[in-house]
Amino acid sequence: MVVYSFFIFDRHCECIYIRQWLESTSTPAPAQPLSRPVTASSATTTATSTAEKPTSGNKLSMAEQAKLVFGVIFSLRNMVKKLCGPDDSFLCFRTGHYKLHYYETITSLRFVMLTDIRTENLKLSLHQIYVNLYVEYVVKNPLSPVEHAGGEGVNNEMFELGIDGFVRTIQ
Amino acid sequence: MVVYAVLILNKAGGLIYQRDFNPGLQKISANDYLIIAGTFHGVHAITSQISPTNDTGSSGLEVLESEHFVMRCFQTLTGIKFLIFAEPRQPNLDVVVRRVYELYADYVMKNPFYQIEMPIRSEGFDRHLAAYIKPQA
Repeated sequence: MVVYSFFIFDRHCECIYIRQWLESTSTPAPAQPLSRPVTASSATTTATSTAEKPTSGNKLSMAEQAKLVFGVIFSLRNMVKKLCGPDDSFLCFRTGHYKLHYYETITSLRFVMLTDIRTENLKLSLHQIYVNLYVEYVVKNPLSPVEHAGGEGVNNEMFELGIDGFVRTIQ
Repeated sequence: MVVYAVLILNKAGGLIYQRDFNPGLQKISANDYLIIAGTFHGVHAITSQISPTNDTGSSGLEVLESEHFVMRCFQTLTGIKFLIFAEPRQPNLDVVVRRVYELYADYVMKNPFYQIEMPIRSEGFDRHLAAYIKPQA
């Protein structure tokens, strides 16, 4: 399976973490499949270079894409809750080219992962990321602020390494 | 086969047909169904834009899964969307949705009194759809 990108949105509907992995086939000289990480804090500075890069294939910058992704999951979540009552939750959707997995914690923290379409449901994996990485390295970090405006506190080294390692194990 | 509901959306995102077959979804008003149809139309357009792959002509949302149902969306070349809500892990929804499209072509499009893009009021379509989706009833 291929993991394309990963997003975290906080309870204020703000994107606090973006991570993008490009496919090894689309990079000219792939040293490793996980080539170009983009974090939320650096997203504004690297947004233009990512958009201009022809191999990335994305017409939208990552910051813009994050807004669209949030719009989609927010609408679908409300739609599912209206159709099936408040205890139902939306798990994933698939299009012809990718699959989006969604996990929401009780504190309205939303984890979203975009993968290829053959991947099974990743709800448990996203839960693992929340429990083993987010809680351990972001929530329990004494230097991390309570609210992560602009991604502050989330993009620390341990969390990044943890995410990288985790995605390698599920790939 | 347990199909909860069938919805048909015209190319502008308006709801032109809605029918429940089995209990499983909440009872919501016709107005709420219109809102859901409109919302879904927009979401469908956005999902084709956020595709991370290089392939052009990306399709929009095809299958939506939740804990209590699975929804299959099929968009025809003319922009009509067929939404089938069924119980989770229901196989062969592709076949079901294509058969509903065939019934639509036979009993709605071939009806000389049907006005295009308008709500579907066709007894033949209702009857054949019910016979296909819920044969035992």
